[in-house]
Parts: sequence; C-alpha cells; structure tokens
Amino acid sequence: MRKKNSIMGMAFFAPALILLTLFLFLPMLLTFGFSFTDYFALNPELTHFVGLKNYLDCFKDELFVKSFLNTVKFVIIIVPCQCGGAMLMAIAINHAAHCKKYFKVAFFVPVVMSLAVVSTLWMQIYSPEGILNTLLANFGIDAQPFIHSAKQALPSVAIMSVWQGMGYQMLILLGGLQNINPALYEAAEMDHATNWQKFKDITLPEMKPLCVLIFITVTIGAFRMLVQPMVMTGGGPDHSTYTIVYDIYQTGTVNWEMGLASTMAIIFTIFVVVLTIIQNILTKDKEDK
Amino acid sequence: MRKRLLCLAGVLFALGALTGCQKKEVNPGDIAGYDQGETYLSMWVHSIEETEEGQAYKASVESFNEKYNGTYFADIEFVPRNDSGGGYSDKVNASVMSGGLPDVLTVDGPNIAAYAANGIIQPLAEISQGEKDIYLPSIIEQGTYNGKLHALGVMESSVGLYYNKGILKEAGIKVPDADHPWTWTEFLEILEKLKPIMEEKNGYPLDMTFPVGEASIYYYAPFIWSNGGNLVSEDGLTVDGYFNSEKNVETMNYFQSIVKNKYMSEAKIENLFESGRAAFKFDGAWEVNTIYGNYPDIDLGVAPYVVSDDWDKGKYTPTGSWAFAASSETEDIEGATKLVQWMSGVESGIRIWEMSKTFPSTYEAFENIDVFQTDENYKALYDQLSNYGHPRPKTPVYPQVSTYFQEVLESVALGGKDAQSEMDKLVERMNAKLERYTRE
Repeated sequence: MRKKNSIMGMAFFAPALILLTLFLFLPMLLTFGFSFTDYFALNPELTHFVGLKNYLDCFKDELFVKSFLNTVKFVIIIVPCQCGGAMLMAIAINHAAHCKKYFKVAFFVPVVMSLAVVSTLWMQIYSPEGILNTLLANFGIDAQPFIHSAKQALPSVAIMSVWQGMGYQMLILLGGLQNINPALYEAAEMDHATNWQKFKDITLPEMKPLCVLIFITVTIGAFRMLVQPMVMTGGGPDHSTYTIVYDIYQTGTVNWEMGLASTMAIIFTIFVVVLTIIQNILTKDKEDK
Repeated sequence: MRKRLLCLAGVLFALGALTGCQKKEVNPGDIAGYDQGETYLSMWVHSIEETEEGQAYKASVESFNEKYNGTYFADIEFVPRNDSGGGYSDKVNASVMSGGLPDVLTVDGPNIAAYAANGIIQPLAEISQGEKDIYLPSIIEQGTYNGKLHALGVMESSVGLYYNKGILKEAGIKVPDADHPWTWTEFLEILEKLKPIMEEKNGYPLDMTFPVGEASIYYYAPFIWSNGGNLVSEDGLTVDGYFNSEKNVETMNYFQSIVKNKYMSEAKIENLFESGRAAFKFDGAWEVNTIYGNYPDIDLGVAPYVVSDDWDKGKYTPTGSWAFAASSETEDIEGATKLVQWMSGVESGIRIWEMSKTFPSTYEAFENIDVFQTDENYKALYDQLSNYGHPRPKTPVYPQVSTYFQEVLESVALGGKDAQSEMDKLVERMNAKLERYTRE
C-alpha cells in the first residue's frame, strides 16, 4: 500500500519536477558552469574555460560595483518605507469605521497594474512640467529635476516603487491584524493600556511571523529591481539608478556576454542568500534559539 | 496500466520540450503552396504579423512565392521583439547555440558586423553591380562587412533637423541649402539669437535629449563624422585613438556648450517642439508624419544637419535600419540571396512605405512614391539620405560602442564631466571586449 502511494505521489510530483528541472534547476546549474567561461552568445563555439577571471573582473569593474551599491541603496530606502507604510495602512484600514473596502481596493490597485505602466505614469508625474512640480510651485518651491538628476533619481524611483508595491504587503498584514484574538485587546483595556502599549505588546508580537515574511520578501524584491529604472531612467543619469539585475540583463542580452552575466548572477545570488540567512537569524525569536 | 501511460506521457512531454528547439523538417505539401520540386526557404522577421510592417513582409513573401513558383518556396515566421530588444534576438541567440537558424533572417543594421564576425550570417551570393546600384549607397555600405555584401535592407531611415518656420521667420533666420549646412559656430549663434524669443514662449531654442538606447548614437554620431572623427577604426577592431580622439572630445564639448548655455532643457519636456515652444528638434523621419497628422498648426521645415566648422563635405548624416541576411546554416545561398533581394527590392520598398510609412531603400522606390517628389520636407530627408547618408560604426562590439556613446554624451553634456577622461575610461572597457576578436 505504502509503495503504491509513493508511486502515485511521484506521478503527481513528476510533471512539476520535470518542469522545474528543465526551467529552473538546469538553468541554475548551467549559469554556475557558464560563470567560469567566456561564453559569448553569438559564438558559443569559441567558449573557453577562464577559471575565476570573470569573478575578479566583476569586482574590478567600477560599473558592477556601482550597480551593486545602487541596489543596496534602493533596498535601504525601499525596505523600511514599504514595510512601515504597509503596516500603517493596514492598521489604518483595520481601524477605519467607513469605506474599508474602498481603501483596500484603492491601496491595492497599483499592485495589479503593470510595472511598465506605473513607471510610465510616474515619469509624467516627475516630469519638469508634471503634476508634482506644479504642486511644489504652489508652495513656492522651485521645480525639481527628480528622475533627470543623478542625485534625485534613485530616491525618486524608490518612492515610486514603494507606492506601487505597498498594497500587497498591506493586504497580508491586514489579514494578520484581523486574526489577532480581540480578547487580548479587551484584557489590555481592562489594564488601562495605552494605544502604543497595545501596539507594542500585543499587535507587534502577534504579527511577528508575518512581519518577518514581509521583511524578507520585500528585501528580495527590492534587490531584484529592474523594470522601474529600465523604463524610467534607463539606469541613468550617470548610472545613478543602474541596478545589479539591470547590469546582468545588459551584459547578457544586449552585449551577448553570457559568461560574465552568469558570474554576476551567481555573485548576486550568493549575496542575497547570505543576507536572507542573516535576516532569518536576526529575526528569530529568543525562545526559538 | 494507467500508471505506465502516465509515465509515458511525462517522458514524451519532456522529450517534446527538449526537441522543441530543433530546426523543423518541412516536406512538400506540409504547407499550402509548397510543392514538389521547390526549394524550401525559411525566414524569420523581427515583427508581429498583425502590424503594418508584418503585413508588408507577408505580402512580399507571397509575391516572391508567386514569382518563383516551381523553384523556391519561402516560409515566413514572425518573431515578436520587445522594446528593449529581447524576444527576437533571444531566439536568434538560442538557435546559434542549438542550431535551427532559418535560411534568411532580419538583422538590425548596426549588428550586421557582429553577426558576420561571429559566423551567424554569411556573405550573399554574387550580385551584379547593376543589381547593387538600385540601392542607396548607405544600404550597400551598411550590409558590407570585410569587403563582402552580407545584407540588404528594405527600409532606410534618417533623422531630420526640424525647424518651426514661424519662429525662424520671427527671428529673421534663413535656412541654408543642403550643400551648405550651418556650421557648429553658426548654429550656436542662431541658438543664442533665438534664446530670448523662446524664453518669452516659455521654451528653449532646441528640443534635444540624450536618451538611453540606440537613439543617441543614431542622432548625434553625425556630429562626430562631420568633425572628421570616428568611433572605431576601419576594420572595427580598434577603438583606442578613435573613440577617445581629440576630435571627439571637441564634439562632446560642443554638446556640453549647448547645455551650459541653456539652449536646451536638461530634462526632457514632452512635446516641446510640437507645442511651438522650441525652434529646432532632432528626430527620426517619422516626425514629419506625426506633425502633419497631429500638429497641423506647426509650419514644419527640414534644415540640413549641422556640420562641424572643419567639415570636409564628406558623408555624415544618420542612416540605418533592419536588413535581410542569409544565415550561415542555409544550404542554398543562391536561393537565400534571391529571397533577400526580393524582400529588399523596389516592389517591397514601395509596399513598406505604403503600409508602414517607413522609407524604402532603393532609388526607384523613392522615385515611384509621390510624396518624395511633391513634399519639400520628405524630399529634403530623401536628398540628405541619398547624398550624405553615413552608416553607424561597423564593429563586432557595436552594442558597447552605442551604449558608451550615450553614456559619455550624458556624463559630459549633462553631467559636466571631463570628456577626455570619460572617453579614456570607456575605451579601456571596450578594449577588453575586443580581445575576443583580436587574439590569435
């Protein structure tokens, strides 16, 4: 019986396994292999094994380092803003007396819109004669270059990203908030706890597993930033919004250097995996330890 | 039994997925119109069937099959290409690795050198001089690599220096003829003269940007060529001393002076020229159609492309578009060449203009399209193209040259950085990429 079950299980599992092997595991292995070669997409026959040369070249390449640092800057802005903003929105909706559904939909709409569409929309908002500069002018503030300036482009793109992605996390957190046992709050009220105390001692601890999940997924999402700078700034001005995934794309697809692009992808993957492990350790409950 | 069937289905599916990349075997009778005794020629184009361009290709293939009925049968496959260049090129790259390239494929003009240098496309079969002479010189030059003709395009393109006749009249500025363009110095004086007038209109003398992508090198490399500079050596394998030459530093500094003097906006302003708030604009030939169709209030003119003060009357204006080439895997180069010639010929050229308003590539096609005789702006663009058209750099590292040209333009003109050091830095990077072609 057990053998029969295991065969049935394998039969159900097989299609997924075959597809994952073909389109995920195999490409991952190939990428790892290519990262030690000078594989050039237009002429694969001339591929040589180059050892660690690509890895050394990457670290010597100013542009790669810059794109790496830009990505880190994006993460530093996006993660706290997106997680914090989503939490604030979730709490606000949870406490809202009216129009809950309206706010839920309104906050969630940007998530379902295509990133390319949202990026194009924000290009208009950020344009020298766009709505944002018109609003600023009403307050007597000079027109800002936003995505057209090397200093402002990165935060401008990051803010747009936060706005676009926040709704999704808000919905997950809202689900979590609604699952907290109301008896806990009632008990706190009997003890005359303040709102802050209720948030700190009940909401946050109850929401911790969800917060950790969101923290990690937002971090990984922010590291994978590609569409927004590609559409809005093309990585500029002066590479100020050039991200690591953009660099990988440009190197592999546009410049045809698949070997070097594979190396960049491996370095990036290792970095994100290590960071996720660190995040996991830091956010583990003391009791779990 | 059922389990075995399930396993078999799984294995078949996996094998199917793996063999999907291989070249398909087509036999006479498999496709309507492909008969016994005909040679099958497969072709990929970088377009969707539903677009005007796709429809024009389809009609050209149908007329080829009619003309060569009994000898050849061409089968067209439409491969979508996204805005960032993926899709079509991904399919070509995958086929280079796994095999399965078609007999004929479309290649973007600046990529012909890289495709030829890496053996993806092969030289076309012998074509007589008379057959070559029907094309604009820029098409032949674009398709020639290492002295051999590799590709012929049905489309040609150009960029115009458009001007608003009303504004220039108001400023009392006269436009020179095509053989005596404004020099850089003259153009700066004109921009200076226009500045106060345009400030009153809440605009700028010049509507110009340095966008990421192919547009920047396409629009502004003519400034390099008219100044006697080059981006790469003749054989396309050296950049040091070319890309970062003194002449090119001068050109970059010229762009910097335009920005510094506030003759253009540093950030892109939508429809600046179209709304009558700029006197000049550099843009593709499609702009004429856009203005005629959507901005009838603008009195449009096409001025000759600006030249350096040291211009030697040589060719310098923008050209280039997608072309047809025979892949290295074709077994019938004669047939593939016939198909390339047909797809890029006069009839196909007239069709591509009629259906997608893209410039054709042959003299006869231009002569047979009324608008190039009757409309002064289209005529000016055609004259510029046929007399002064210059192809973009022919080098296997073209993607890098194009990207770095835009980068240096942006960092020098907009970022105010030092042109020489920026260019030297990029030359080092390109040299590393060129090693692939220069090592023994």
